[in-house]
Amino acid sequence: MYISETQDFISSPYLTHINNVVKNSEMLLANYTDERNRSSVTEPWTYSCEKNKCIRKLHSDLSSEVRVTFLSCAMTCGDNVNIWPLPKSAQMKKTIQNIHLSNIQYKIETPFPNVADLMHKAVALFVSDIKQVMKANGADFGSKSINEENVTVNILMKILEFNETILTMQSDECYHLFIKQQDTSLNISITSKTFFGARHALETLQQLIWYDDAIHSLRILNSVNINDCPKFNYRGLMLDTSRHYFSVGSIKRIITGMAHVKLNRFHWHIVDSQSFPFVSEFYPELSKYGAYSSKEVYTHSDISEIVEFAEVRGIQVITEIDAPAHAGNGWQFGSEKGLGELSLCINQQPWNRYCGEPPCGQLNPKNNNTYMVLEKLYSEIVNLTKTTDIFHLGGDEVNFDCWRQFFKGADLKKLWCDFMIEAYDRLVTANNDESIKYATIWNSEFEKVKCLPAENFTIQVWLAKNPELKRFIDSKYNLIISHVDAWYFDCGFGTWRSTSGEGVCPPFKAWYTVYNYQPWNELYLTSEQMKQILGGEACMWTETVDEYSVDIKIWPRASALAERLWSDIKKFSIPVETVQRFSIFHTRFLDLGLKSDVIWPEYCEQNLNECII
Amino acid sequence: MLKALILQVIVLIGSSLSYQINGKWYCRNNMDCLPWESKNTETLPKIYETQNLCRLMCGKFRGLWPQVTRICNIEKSVNPVNFELITFDYPNDNENIKDFYEQVTLLFKRNLIEECGKSCSMQSNNSLHIRISVVDKSLMLNSLTDESYRLNISTMTDNEITVQISAKTIFGTRHALETLSQLMVKTVDDNDQNGLLIVSSADILDKPFYQHRGLLIDTARHFISIASLMKILDGMSANKMNVFHWHITDSQSFPMEIKRRPEMHGNGAFSKDKVYFKSDIDKIVQYAKYRGIRVIFELDAPAHAGKGWEWGEKSGLGKLAVCVDDQPWRKSCIQPNCGQLNPSNENLYSVLHDIYQDIRDYKEKNEFIHMGGDEVFVKCWNNTKEITDYMATKNYDRNNVIGFLQLWSEFQGKALNIWDNITDEKESIVMWSSELTLPENIEKFLPKERYIIQTWIPNNSDIPQKLLDKGYRLIMTTKNAWYFDHGFWGNTKYYNWKTVYANTLPRNELVLGGEVCMWSEYLDEHSIEMKIFPRLNAAAERLWANPKTDLNAVESRFYRQRERIVAKGIQADAILTEYCTLFEGECRG
Repeated sequence: MYISETQDFISSPYLTHINNVVKNSEMLLANYTDERNRSSVTEPWTYSCEKNKCIRKLHSDLSSEVRVTFLSCAMTCGDNVNIWPLPKSAQMKKTIQNIHLSNIQYKIETPFPNVADLMHKAVALFVSDIKQVMKANGADFGSKSINEENVTVNILMKILEFNETILTMQSDECYHLFIKQQDTSLNISITSKTFFGARHALETLQQLIWYDDAIHSLRILNSVNINDCPKFNYRGLMLDTSRHYFSVGSIKRIITGMAHVKLNRFHWHIVDSQSFPFVSEFYPELSKYGAYSSKEVYTHSDISEIVEFAEVRGIQVITEIDAPAHAGNGWQFGSEKGLGELSLCINQQPWNRYCGEPPCGQLNPKNNNTYMVLEKLYSEIVNLTKTTDIFHLGGDEVNFDCWRQFFKGADLKKLWCDFMIEAYDRLVTANNDESIKYATIWNSEFEKVKCLPAENFTIQVWLAKNPELKRFIDSKYNLIISHVDAWYFDCGFGTWRSTSGEGVCPPFKAWYTVYNYQPWNELYLTSEQMKQILGGEACMWTETVDEYSVDIKIWPRASALAERLWSDIKKFSIPVETVQRFSIFHTRFLDLGLKSDVIWPEYCEQNLNECII
Repeated sequence: MLKALILQVIVLIGSSLSYQINGKWYCRNNMDCLPWESKNTETLPKIYETQNLCRLMCGKFRGLWPQVTRICNIEKSVNPVNFELITFDYPNDNENIKDFYEQVTLLFKRNLIEECGKSCSMQSNNSLHIRISVVDKSLMLNSLTDESYRLNISTMTDNEITVQISAKTIFGTRHALETLSQLMVKTVDDNDQNGLLIVSSADILDKPFYQHRGLLIDTARHFISIASLMKILDGMSANKMNVFHWHITDSQSFPMEIKRRPEMHGNGAFSKDKVYFKSDIDKIVQYAKYRGIRVIFELDAPAHAGKGWEWGEKSGLGKLAVCVDDQPWRKSCIQPNCGQLNPSNENLYSVLHDIYQDIRDYKEKNEFIHMGGDEVFVKCWNNTKEITDYMATKNYDRNNVIGFLQLWSEFQGKALNIWDNITDEKESIVMWSSELTLPENIEKFLPKERYIIQTWIPNNSDIPQKLLDKGYRLIMTTKNAWYFDHGFWGNTKYYNWKTVYANTLPRNELVLGGEVCMWSEYLDEHSIEMKIFPRLNAAAERLWANPKTDLNAVESRFYRQRERIVAKGIQADAILTEYCTLFEGECRG
C-alpha cells in the first residue's frame, strides 16, 4: 500500500513539504481506519458439533456457555482430517490440548550436520508460521491465556538415512508424525529418511495447531498418528518471468505458498523472446540487451537467494532457458561481439508469420557459437540451482517459417532434433560431464520428439492427449503432466492480441477443474508404466499477469493441484468432505499471511454444510 | 576470480541501461510510443526521454483517461515545475468549502507524488499557480450535479505557470484537478532528482456523456473492509467514476449497523469485526464525496434477505423473513442460504420503517435509494402457509404468477409509502429489473415518475428499449459485459477490458448511465482489486466519453491509466506482456 512505501522516507529539510503531503494523506486514511467502537457488538457466533457437523448458532442465545470458535469445532467434530493435502494414512482422537508457544521445545537427531542446519531453519519457519496464525486470529502475545496449562511440548525429529537437501527423482519425502500426551508433557515425534520428509511433517503439524480467540489459547490435537507419502515425486508450479518481470519478493511469496501445500518443484521459466532478465556472468550482454530495464533483472545473488529460500522449504528450483524458439531479445549481441547471428527473426514483423506470439526470435542452429553461449548459461544455472538429475531445456514451438528464410531446402525437423541433442550434450559438459537423466522439454508433436532418446529426455506434456500421450509412454519417455485444459492458470482472461483467437486456452480452470484432473486414470497403465509419470505441474504464463495479481491467479488453484499430486484420491466427483477441508485450509492459507482467491461465499466458510446441494 | 566477475557485471548494469530503454522514445503515427533505435532511417522524429513523456505528447488524447469530450487542445511541449512551488487559489466562503478544497488539493498533490515518486525534489524556478472558480458552491452531490469543467494551462510568464479551472460546481473542479494531474509527468534531471513536467499550454472543455457512472460492490457475500473500499474509491476517482452502489446486505449477511434495530447487524454479521458501523458508513460517504463519488445504498428486498432477519419470532414480532436457511436450498432460493421477507407480517413494515430511517440518515439528501427487487422466488412464498393464507384474504391467485406479483407489488407499495413518510421530497427509487418490471407488467406496478430501473440483462435483449419506449429511466448493467464476477464460476465467461470497453449503451436521455457489478460470492478483499481493475477503467471511459471503439488506438492510453491505478497501491491485473507495453503497436495483428 501507499503508506508502507513511505516509511523509509528520508527526513531531509527539503523534503519536509512532500513528507507533509504524504503524512496528511496518510492521516486522511488513518482517520478512517482508526480503532472503531466495537463495544456495541460481541462476537455473534458459537458452534456446536451435532451429528458430526458443526452448526453455527447465535452465542447470545446460549450466552451462559463459553463460545466455541469455528476451528475448535471443526478440528474436533466428525471424521474429517483437516490437513491439506490429505495424508496417506491418519488416525487421530479428536481431543484437544491447550499449549503455550513458549513451552515448545525441539530436538533434532541426525548424523548429518547439513541436515541439522537446515532443519533448525525449518523449525524457525514453523514457529514463525504459528505466530503468524496467532496474530491473524487476534492473539495478544503479552497477555496470559485464560486456560493457562503448564504443558511442555517436545518435538523430536529423527532424520537418520540420507543427507540430501536438494531433491532428486528418487528422493524419499515420507514421514511419520506421532503425537501423544503423557500428563503434562506432549510428545511429538517426527521420523523421516530425509530432510524433505521432516519439513513436510512440520507443515502437517502446523495445520494441527490453531489459535482459539474465545479462550485466548493455542491448541493442538493431542493424539495423532500420521504416516504420509506423496503419490508423485514431481509436484511443480511454473512461473514465467519473461512476459512480465516478477520481483524477488513476489517469487518468494509464491514459493512460501508452495511449501505450505508440499509442492516441491519451482520451475522458473526465466527468459523468453520478450525479455532476458537473467544476468549471465559470462554474457552480461544478454540481459543488457534483453532486460526490460536495469532494475528488472535477476543477478546471481538474486537467484542464489531464491534457491536457498526454496531449499529450506524442501523445494527445488528448476531454471529453464527456453531454446531454440522463444529466444529473441537479449540475443542480438552476437554480431556485435563477433559471434555472428545467435538468434534469427528477432522482433521480425509481421510477427504472426514467424512466431506464435510477438516478438519473434529463434536461435540460430547453424552457428556453433549459439551452443557455446548455451553451454556457459547451463553451467551457470547448474551451479546456481545445484542441479541434480533434472534440467529443463525448453524446446517448444519452433517456427519453421522463421528458419526456412535462412536454411532453404534443409530438413527443418532434423535441424530441431540436432539442436536439442547438441543442447543436451552441452548440458552434460556444463554438468561436469555427468549425464542428466531427466532433461525435460515441452512436448511438440510426437513425430518431432521421437528422435530424442527416452533415457535422457523427459516430456512435459501440455497438449498431447490420447492416443498420442500413450505413444509417449509406449516409447518409454518419462512425463510431467501440464495439460492446458486443466493446469494452465493463465487461461480464461480473454485474448490480449487484437486479431488472433484464444485457441486452446479458455476457459478459466476453476479449482475443482484443477483438482479433478487425473489423466493417468484414462491411460490404463501398468504399475511399471505409471512410474513414467513423474508428476504434474501447473503453469503460470504471464502475458496478462504481473506481480500484483499473480497470487490471486495461482491460489487456491495450486493448492488443489497439490492435493491431486500428493494424495491422488480417485473419485469421479469431489466429495463434500474435500470441499469442506479445502475451505478450512483456505482460511489457514490467508492466516499465514498469503493472498488467495476464494473458494465460495463467506457464509459457506462459516456454514460448511449449508452450501452443498 | 569470481568476485572480479561479479564486480564487472555490476559496473555494466549500473552504467548502461538496457539499450531498449535508453531514454529515447518517439511517437509513431501520432499513436504509439516506442524506443528509438538508430538503425531506423526515416527522418529523425522528436525524441522524448521517457515513454510517459512521449505518451503525454502523442495522439489526440495523449495520456488522458477517460478521454476529454468537448475541447481538447494540448500543446506539444512541456515545462518543468517545482513541486514545492505549487499554489492554489480556491473559494473559501465557509469552513465546509474550505475543508473540501483542502482535501481535494491534497489528493491532487498525492496524485502528483504517485507520478513523481516519493522524493519529488527537482530544483526549478517555475511555480504553478492554480486558480479555481465555481458558480454554484453547494456541497450537495447527487444525480443533478453538473460535472463539466473548463481547464486552461497558460504559457509561462516570469517563471509562473498559471492554470485556470472553472466549473458550475465544485465537483466539476475536482474532476479538472484529476485531469490536470494527468497532464503532468515524471522526469529525472541531470542530478538524478525526480521532478515534474507540465504541458506548456492547454485548453480543455470536458463534460460526461452519462451522468450515472457506477460500480456495484456486494459486501454481503464477503465482507470487504472499509480500508479496502477506500482503496477502490481512490481508483474510481482517478477514472471520474461517480457512483458507488453499495449492495450492503443480502441473505447471507447483514453487516450494516442499524441503530434503531441493532438486532439486524447483531444477528446478521459474520463476526463482530465485520460490521459497517454508523461511523464507518459516514466516513465512507465523506471519503467518496471528496472524490466526487455518490454512494447509493441498496437494501435488497423482498428476496435476498435472510441473515439478520431471524430474530422476529423471539421478540414477538412473528416471522419477518421466511424460508431462512431452508434446506435443500434449491427448493427455496437460487443460491444458499435462503431467505425472503414476509409481506403478510405487518411488523415487517415497522422494522423496515426503522431501517429506512437509518439509511436515510446515512445517505445524501435527494440521493437515490436502491430497494433491490430482484429474484423473488415464488416457491418460497407459495410454500409458506402464513403467506398463502394472507393471499387468500386478498384474493391473490396462487395458481398464477400474477397473484404473486400482486403480493410483491403490495409489499413494494408499502415500502415506498414508508420511504415517502420519512423523507421530505418524493425521491427516485431504483429497482432491479425483474418480472415486476417486464414491459407488459411494469406500468401496473411501478409509476415511472418514481422508479428508475436498473437492468441486468444481456445486450441482445429488447427489454431495455421497450422500457425506454414506455418512458422509464434506466441504469444499465449489461450482464454479458459488465458482470465482473463472471468467468470464475460455472459456465460464465470472463469479459476482458476490450469487451467491457466495447459495450455501448443506447443514446437516449432516459438512460442515466450504467454500472459494472462486482458480486462477491467468489472473491474477498484479497482478490477484489484485480477483478475490478483495470477493467473498471474501460467502463469509465465508455460512460464518461462514449467514444467510438478503436481498441488499437486506446490500448496504450489504457495501459498508462492502469499504471496510475497501480501507483495508488491497487493490485490491478495486467493486460499485455511487458514487452508490448514498451513497444507499443508491435504486438498487433
